[in-house]
Amino acid sequence: MADKAPRGVTVIDLDTGEEKPISHHVPVGPHHPILKEPLRIKLAIRGEEVVDCKVEMGYCHRGIEKIMEGMPWQKAAFLAERVCGICSHAHNMCFIGAVESVSEGEPARRGLFLRYIVQELDRIQSHLIANAAYFYSIEHETMFVWNMNTRERVLDCIEKITGNRILTGWNVVGGVRLDVDEDTLNEVIEVLEEKVVPDVETYRKIASNDPFIKMRSRGVGVITEDMIRRYRVVGPQARASGVAQDIRTIEPVYPEVGFRPITRDHGDNLDRILVRYDEVLQSVELIERMVEELPRGDHRVEMKVEGGHVVNRTEAPRGELVYDMEISRGGVVKKATIRTPSVPNIRVLEAIAPGAPSVADAVAAYASLDPCVACNERFIVIDRDKDEIVFSGKAREVLRACRSKTS
Amino acid sequence: MVCCLLKKLKGLIRSRSIHVSVVNTGGCNGCDIEILACFTYRYDLEQYGIYYHNNPRKTDVLIVTGPVTEQWKDKLPKLYDKVPEPKAVVAVGSCACSGGIFNQDGGRVGGGAAEFIPVDAEVPGCPPRPDEIVKAVVEVLPTFFRRWEFERGGGDGR
Repeated sequence: MADKAPRGVTVIDLDTGEEKPISHHVPVGPHHPILKEPLRIKLAIRGEEVVDCKVEMGYCHRGIEKIMEGMPWQKAAFLAERVCGICSHAHNMCFIGAVESVSEGEPARRGLFLRYIVQELDRIQSHLIANAAYFYSIEHETMFVWNMNTRERVLDCIEKITGNRILTGWNVVGGVRLDVDEDTLNEVIEVLEEKVVPDVETYRKIASNDPFIKMRSRGVGVITEDMIRRYRVVGPQARASGVAQDIRTIEPVYPEVGFRPITRDHGDNLDRILVRYDEVLQSVELIERMVEELPRGDHRVEMKVEGGHVVNRTEAPRGELVYDMEISRGGVVKKATIRTPSVPNIRVLEAIAPGAPSVADAVAAYASLDPCVACNERFIVIDRDKDEIVFSGKAREVLRACRSKTS
Repeated sequence: MVCCLLKKLKGLIRSRSIHVSVVNTGGCNGCDIEILACFTYRYDLEQYGIYYHNNPRKTDVLIVTGPVTEQWKDKLPKLYDKVPEPKAVVAVGSCACSGGIFNQDGGRVGGGAAEFIPVDAEVPGCPPRPDEIVKAVVEVLPTFFRRWEFERGGGDGR
């Protein structure tokens, strides 16, 4: 009897006497203990096993691209920063970089170095909160609190340099807002070397050796190279599967300080966590080298915005961030399109969640993708006559609707 | 007299064990991670008897962050109804107070949480620092729950 029973939980139909597997749909979100941000994951399960997964977005749509139209860059930079609160500096930097590439002259060298120092600090705190969120999702509260505690020290460093913890408003066209003296930078390096590096090394050791973390993470949520090509996965999520793609290799300052992308092979939850720890340690090294080679001179130069069409790319903590903008003479944003790394990174959940042995594993796989929902919501489709939402954040359905109307 | 003592006792116990639930109605995450930072070593809200979990049916205080987006306009009042009495709502961040930077031409957000549900306390800032959040929560909420039996509670099933 036992070997005949189908997998999962079954129920006997009282009328016919047949044994049927229980199938069920579990909606996770938009407000759920495991989610920091509103998002709905629809899981179809058979017994405990997840068989299908759909991700539904659109709870965060604020219309940033529309608000940005007709704004001077001085105002729009603040708006770009508020696309996402965790990787805010990357958004600000990408926006300012786009405006600079249609301007006369070059930004100040010292300003560029200071910009990338803050960018690496931002990457450290973002990776630490991502790993903390993963450990929270597998109920490892000790590691969660430790990671968050180390992150506080990094935020102190950011505050020391820029004056604010998050949403710093640090970049301006031509450089950065303030100059930083050597003592501050040395203090920052001291904190990073004495507090952050030993902590992160310990966490990496625990994560790669602890049997319970291994049982929950090794071999769960494997992203193959084929999936990376199909879903265009970017960032540490792709690098954990052995694909060495990193926009930092073509960004200005990084080749001078000897940057090389880090990869790992397995592509499962554990490797994504470990790649982030590796990158934190690498970022500390990069910061040290940037501070050593920090050029003297102005931190900001005057630049005249010429205007034009521009596509700018930056490596945000979560992957490749693209700003496609049209800017008029004088620096007014005509049109902006933002492509954030979380869009493909969340979509790939639809491929890796089916086959997970339990709902908890699917949720852990979701947390390991470092999802940032606030980044994602780029469009809703509104019926003007009725003033109601037709589609929100469901790219595939919108595409299908558009095709059916035009063909 | 006994009734008054009982009310005082109830208020005292309520003010010592507050359960908090955070709902992000479409914000940029900045306020959420600052609230999350409140529950770690350095700020440690739990030492004041404030416990964080995200189940609205068991919670006393609903912390709202972010502007109320189109999708949340009907869901936020529903979520508020699920919270049992006595309940308080704290709006954290400029967006939850007034719609913030997104409440301008072209944006499709409501003007803050107060348009949809009654809000008891507001913490402005973009984002407010964790110590400001801790100060607001620790100063306002225990007083609110201690007085609730006398001011709004009472016989008629309120």
